[in-house]
Amino acid sequence: MTAQRVVVDPVTRIEGHLRIEAMLDGKGTIQDAMSSGTMWRGIEIILRNRDPRTAWAYCERICGVCTTVHALASVRAVENAVGITVPRNADIIRNIMFLTQYVQDHVIHFYHLTALDWVDLVSALGADPAKTAALAQAVSPHWPKATTGYFSDVKATLSKFASSGQLGIFANAYWGHPAYKLPAEANLMAVAHYLEALKWQKEIAKIHTIFGGKNPHPNYLVGGMACAIDMQSDNAINMERLNYVKGLITQAQGIVENLYLPDLLAVASFYPEWTTYGGGLGNYMSYGDMPQNGIGDPSTFLFPRGIILDKDLSKVLEVDPTDPDQIREQVAHSWYTYPAGTEALHPWDGVTEPKYTGPKPPYKQLDENGQYSWLKAPRWRGKAMEVGPLARVLIGFASGRDDFKEVVTEALGQLKIPAAALFSTLGRLAARGLETRLAAHWLQAEFDRLVANIKAGDQQVADTTRWEPATWPAECKGFGFTEAPRGSLGHWVHIKDTKIANYQAVVPSTWNASPKDSEGQHGAYEAALLGTPMADPKRPVEILRTIHSFDPCLACASH
Amino acid sequence: MATNVGAFRPEELAASPHRFFRRRYVWQWPIRVFHWTNAISITVLFLTGLYIAHPILAPAGEAYKAFVMGRVRQIHFLFAFIFAVGFIWRMYWFWMGNNYARSGFPFFWRRSWWQDLFRQLGDYLHLRRGHVHLGHNALGGLSYTVFVIALGWAQLLTGLAMYSESNPGGFWSSLVGWVIPLAGGSFQVHMWHHLFAWLFVVFAILHLYIVFYDGQQYKNGLVTSMISGVKFYQEGDVDHDSWLS
Amino acid sequence: MSSSGHPKTTYDVLRAHGVDRRKFLKFCTLTAAAMGLDVSLVPKVVEAMETKPRIPVIWLHGLECTCCSESFIRSSHPIAQDVILNMISLDYDDTLQAAAGEQVEEIRRKVMKEHPGEYVLAVEGNAPTNDGGVYCTVGGDTFLNVLRETAEHAKFVVAWGSCASNGCVQSAYPNPTGAKPVHELIHGKPIVNVPGCPPIAEVMTGVLTYVLTFGRLPELDSFHRPKMFYAQRIHDKCYRRAYFDAGQFVEEWDDDGARKGWCLYKMGCRGPTTYNSCSTFKWNNGVSYPIGSGHGCIGCSENNFWDNSPFYDRLTSIPVPGIEATPDGVGETLAIAAGVGVAAHFASFMVKKGLDRSRGRDAESDE
Ligand code: HEM
Ligand code: HEM
Ligand code: NFV
Ligand code: SF4
Ligand code: SF4
Ligand code: F3S
Ligand SMILES: [Mg+2]
Repeated sequence: MTAQRVVVDPVTRIEGHLRIEAMLDGKGTIQDAMSSGTMWRGIEIILRNRDPRTAWAYCERICGVCTTVHALASVRAVENAVGITVPRNADIIRNIMFLTQYVQDHVIHFYHLTALDWVDLVSALGADPAKTAALAQAVSPHWPKATTGYFSDVKATLSKFASSGQLGIFANAYWGHPAYKLPAEANLMAVAHYLEALKWQKEIAKIHTIFGGKNPHPNYLVGGMACAIDMQSDNAINMERLNYVKGLITQAQGIVENLYLPDLLAVASFYPEWTTYGGGLGNYMSYGDMPQNGIGDPSTFLFPRGIILDKDLSKVLEVDPTDPDQIREQVAHSWYTYPAGTEALHPWDGVTEPKYTGPKPPYKQLDENGQYSWLKAPRWRGKAMEVGPLARVLIGFASGRDDFKEVVTEALGQLKIPAAALFSTLGRLAARGLETRLAAHWLQAEFDRLVANIKAGDQQVADTTRWEPATWPAECKGFGFTEAPRGSLGHWVHIKDTKIANYQAVVPSTWNASPKDSEGQHGAYEAALLGTPMADPKRPVEILRTIHSFDPCLACASH
Repeated sequence: MATNVGAFRPEELAASPHRFFRRRYVWQWPIRVFHWTNAISITVLFLTGLYIAHPILAPAGEAYKAFVMGRVRQIHFLFAFIFAVGFIWRMYWFWMGNNYARSGFPFFWRRSWWQDLFRQLGDYLHLRRGHVHLGHNALGGLSYTVFVIALGWAQLLTGLAMYSESNPGGFWSSLVGWVIPLAGGSFQVHMWHHLFAWLFVVFAILHLYIVFYDGQQYKNGLVTSMISGVKFYQEGDVDHDSWLS
Repeated sequence: MSSSGHPKTTYDVLRAHGVDRRKFLKFCTLTAAAMGLDVSLVPKVVEAMETKPRIPVIWLHGLECTCCSESFIRSSHPIAQDVILNMISLDYDDTLQAAAGEQVEEIRRKVMKEHPGEYVLAVEGNAPTNDGGVYCTVGGDTFLNVLRETAEHAKFVVAWGSCASNGCVQSAYPNPTGAKPVHELIHGKPIVNVPGCPPIAEVMTGVLTYVLTFGRLPELDSFHRPKMFYAQRIHDKCYRRAYFDAGQFVEEWDDDGARKGWCLYKMGCRGPTTYNSCSTFKWNNGVSYPIGSGHGCIGCSENNFWDNSPFYDRLTSIPVPGIEATPDGVGETLAIAAGVGVAAHFASFMVKKGLDRSRGRDAESDE
């Protein structure tokens, strides 16, 4: 019996427009949940008939938070369709840009999008700066800003800000909610690092600027990259630019190792109960990414490809996104229509035709039995999947990859929790931190690979033999993918007479935030909310914690 | 009024030569000067404009040693101003010149103008020496109005608007800056300017042909008239343009 | 609470943060310099920061990609932290707000009620207008309503990015949701358009700081853009301009010219038709800008730039709806048609002449 319906709309500290409706039982436990994407722009429709070489730019504007990844998936899709293999340097530069996005996005997510679910800003006002400094030193011995003076300053900033009477983005939140468990000092430390991370995130983004000209929304190119490499030129990627990148990578590693991970583990250690909530589907998928030998050779990917079903880490199944029987999208509970008699479509045959059937705004609630979201419901062989950091880390772990095993076991050891604890809200947050650690490490490795390749005499960044559309087949299809920060991203393109005939994107948050399908299976967000007890339904911190653990991006999801 | 002139018979010419080859000073010198600066500048503008759009030379060496694109643009701008000055001069002369200077004016509210227009079209299509003028016929006048006056304005305004962009807030920008938002943006201004450039070519093709055809058909010395100013006519050919004054 | 009590001035807050007067003056000088102001204007900046309370800002999100927010927090001078904590009072913003759901909407209504005519409405994204606006809803209501409601008592409106100022990608053909930029939906309010996809971070913070400092909107051009950042084209200040003038162009990606940093004009660069500050301030604190990293400008701050694609050709489809052809294509066709017409006329003229002659008659004949 539903005793109460909790509506959270807008869900904040996410990208885009998400509405959550949770049905609680008499004891305040979530019994059923709906995840509704409440915006749609129709990018897939806008792409029709355009020059496939420009699709990346339109796609990139699907999202500015995970800027880059749609562009990457798009150029890969078009290259796949018309048969281009990009030069090695381009592959490496793309990897570097991709990892840059990871590190930046994940750190922002932790500090600016989810931390306030766990960190009580107001409690920080009561912290003792000396004790905070001691805590900070214990947690992260190599982070220099751990002095009493530093924390006194932060505390002063904070209290004067609070006493200004203008609390801005921090106003009206859930401070003092019983679900907050951190001691005052940990709160102060986290708030200080919120500000540190805010200052730093603009630095790492410069790697995109160097290779892609700007961030957000750096430039990509079908066939490779546009940033020519020439060690003898002052107008190309040269020693100065490489040194710049190198410095930024070193700085990023410092932030990840000495700020993000220590803070993440410190916060996590206070919330053990959150290793039991928020697990959800238990099905995980990753397309894999980080090619070491071209995108056509998944065996060399640093993020392995695969599927885990029902939390069974003993088997990693294969996934083939080009197989018409595997990935299909449904619209049973989505505001779209399909041709009569069609239930699910593989993206190459995908149809995007909006048809709103929801209540006339302003409305109080949506109908869980009807259509209720601007997201389609993608399924793998009919099963709902979770994608994202947790999926990748589990698949890396289950595939027996040493680097994944190492970071996972180390973290589990530190938190003194079993591997099963990963299937949870906290597990998801932890997995994000762990893969960021790998990403920061790989950044350096990719950078070294780039330098080595240039040193070996290879300066090529673009293959232009198929640049002219006249060189393309009259009709072709392509699939492009990446493991975006939030999970598996796929773009399917159908090119006819050099123009886009159909373009379909199935995006990480489409998987995770999807509504139910024709069989009533929940999407990952919905499933993860089930069974979570809420202390005070009027102040829905618990819902925010689990939903934020996925790092929702609704502009991505609905596109 | 219009006259239908009989077929040209050489034996008649021999019998009464005075009926033929009468001369009239039609194009005063400002018209001729305008015409040729106009013809030259449009030709240069089209060629340099096309080059600006599709620069094909690729000078080697350091950038400071070459100024190919810059030079072509300078030439374009130079002739643009010649074109502009001629254009303004011609507008002035529309009032100051003789009736022939005004004879291209499209009196589209007058029935007689429409009649003249269609009759001329019919004459050209039926390949006959029909209706005759000393100044412009309605069709010619219309083509100058559309292709030269309207197109000239459009090209001048779009061109000057682009020209003004390198000095925002400057003289040209305060004069013609409004063209850019009107077109929707700078990109659109380039698009229109480029498209209009081709319309000059269309005009030039039709114009050159008609001038030679008309000259041949009517035996009126049309081709040389733009040099000497003098047109020939024969008895019965009507000075059609007194209606203007 | 956010809006109770007397708002402090920027200087009050800075002083409370332990910033002394010397540091404060230096901060003002830097701010003035960042805005390109003359030294003589520094006292004005100081005065403004000393006397103005932090102005409440409501930052709405419509159909968008949130990249403008992302860009905003990349600002280097001032940094986002300073803007948010010391300069404005960012009272409502989905992306950074601690509270959610009903609690956020409550804040918005409160600010509207308690600060009518005082708060700034910043809009990121735009509103769909088809089908009653169902393509974007917030808190169960359409974004279109939320936008209109919030704009009503705003002091002025800042339209962030190309979405809010000119429609951007979702309004590209065929604009499935009927997305419209802010100035087409809100009337009778001063609107500052800050286009770009996204705009440069320092341009965004620069616009806000200007308003806070001088208490008035910057001078705007005919597209409602601040002249201080949008008066010139990328091309006018592009460091590759020397190659343009020389006639040295990249002919193909990754060719020799590309490595030498030659001009990207022939690769479709939209710098000659794009108004933005990229070639002056550059991006991400001066690191580079699109052209600086080898790709042409795609004109991301211009109206309708998505429909001017493909951006690898300098000139694309002529701006006539329904005709998909380049000006050269159309022009050549028309010229050929004229040529063919002329040739046909000439041919019939010759044929007629021949016929007449074979009939022993003159070329002129009356019917
Ligand atoms: C060999 C080349 C040319 C010759 C012999 C020539 C001859 C003439 C003649 C005889 C007229 C008077 C026509 C009439 O009354 O119907 C005329 C008018 C005109 N022509 Fe040409 N033309 C030449 C090339 C051009 C070119 C290239 C242009 C520019 C595209 C041009 C533009 C004009 C204009 C604007 C007028 C109207 C003049 C006025 O009323 O002021 N002409 N031309
Ligand atoms: C009748 C004559 C003219 C013709 C046929 C002509 C043709 C052209 C063409 C084809 C272009 C290249 C457009 C593009 O691809 O962007 C061009 C560019 C230009 N024209 Fe003209 N034009 C004419 C008159 C003028 C006038 C009167 C002006 C006034 C100043 C002018 C100023 C310009 C400017 C500023 C450019 C752009 C140059 C650049 O982007 O570097 N043009 N013209
Ligand atoms: N979901 C999603 Fe993205 C990511 N990561 C896209 O591919 O955020 Ni905007
Ligand atoms: S203007 Fe561009 S960058 Fe900004 S929200 Fe819109 S699509 Fe994103
Ligand atoms: S690269 Fe672009 S903006 Fe720069 S000079 Fe060339 S055309 Fe102009
Ligand atoms: S694409 Fe945009 S970022 Fe600047 S250089 Fe062009 S306006
Ligand atoms: Mg899709």
